[in-house]
Amino acid sequence: MALKELSSLEKFLGLKKPNKYSTQGDRKVPVLQSNSGPGLVGLVTIATHLTQEAKKPDLLGSSAEERAVVQQWLEYRVTRLDGCAKEDIRTILKDLNTYLEDKVYLAGNHISIADPLMYYGLHHIIMDLAVHEKEKYLNVTRWFDHMQHYPIVRHHLPPVAVLRNRVYTSGHH
Amino acid sequence: MGFGDLKSPTGLKVLNDFLADKSYIEGYVPSQADVAVFDAISGAPSADLCHALRWYNHIKSFQKVKASLPGLKKALGHYGPAGVEDTTGGGDAADDDDDIDLFGSDEEEEESEEAKRLNEERVAAYNAKKSKKPTLIAKSSILLDVKPWDDETDMVKMEECVRTIQMDGLIWAQASKLVPVGYGIKKLQIGCVVEDDKVGTDQLEEAITAFEDYVQSVDVAAFNKI
Repeated sequence: MALKELSSLEKFLGLKKPNKYSTQGDRKVPVLQSNSGPGLVGLVTIATHLTQEAKKPDLLGSSAEERAVVQQWLEYRVTRLDGCAKEDIRTILKDLNTYLEDKVYLAGNHISIADPLMYYGLHHIIMDLAVHEKEKYLNVTRWFDHMQHYPIVRHHLPPVAVLRNRVYTSGHH
Repeated sequence: MGFGDLKSPTGLKVLNDFLADKSYIEGYVPSQADVAVFDAISGAPSADLCHALRWYNHIKSFQKVKASLPGLKKALGHYGPAGVEDTTGGGDAADDDDDIDLFGSDEEEEESEEAKRLNEERVAAYNAKKSKKPTLIAKSSILLDVKPWDDETDMVKMEECVRTIQMDGLIWAQASKLVPVGYGIKKLQIGCVVEDDKVGTDQLEEAITAFEDYVQSVDVAAFNKI
């Protein structure tokens, strides 16, 4: 799963040469093999490295504050999203929904590396959400739909249908 | 399409609802559509219209590059949810009915030129609305019986003559029938669709009976409103 994700990420970053990955341990932590020295371990580490390699540092955030926010969401992805329990899903979605209320992207006004990584992490959750739940977490749905239409991000994942006509008109801010 | 009056709270609310599940006015990237709507709004939406505010702040960050955003800037009526008219700049927000309240409460300030100009705009918008209204034109389907003098009459020629009758609002049906009346005489049954305002059955009958060589009389066999 992580491997497909990393190759999609490479495409998103516009990296021409695909890297070699392997996994480590039973949690399948990805490892980037490099010719010189030990491999890089960890999704976030590899993602950050790839971004630098692609010479797109703004994807990590263009100001110090933005950089911190990007790191925050990358960390969130690995610590809270991956392998989360069913009960936590509600909390995660609720937090995200509140956070995304006044934001179009996770960090700042343009896409960063945090957006596709969170998208990949959330995909299986959103796919299983019922229609009324998608509307309950309307901001998450909106951001998610935005991500899956962003060129190249969606790569290896099937699109999730997001109902355009709001069935339930209650629940607004 | 349109958002109603974007300078009024109602219009902003429509915008807010529209943007609840969208990041941009059109599509998934900022475009001239966003610029058009952004320019139409007088200022940042209030905090309770959270989606509009989010979108506003986001688009504001593109101010420097707004000329280079993709797309073509169109009139506001092209954007927004279907079924809502754009009435920005025309004064009050229109509600669900079609008429703008011409004498409605002036949210505008002073009289003199401002008011006159706005009044004119309002009248223009009202007229535009009125002219848009008759998408339901009253039409009727008429079935005519055209009777020849005798059984020798060339029915094909007769039909041709009838079909040459052209009037604004008159459309002849493709099919026509020859129905035997008796003694070898056949009458021509031909249908047409007319717009009630433009064509009346008397006109039609007169025009057809003008072909005296072929047509003995014309009757209306059936008349249905569409």
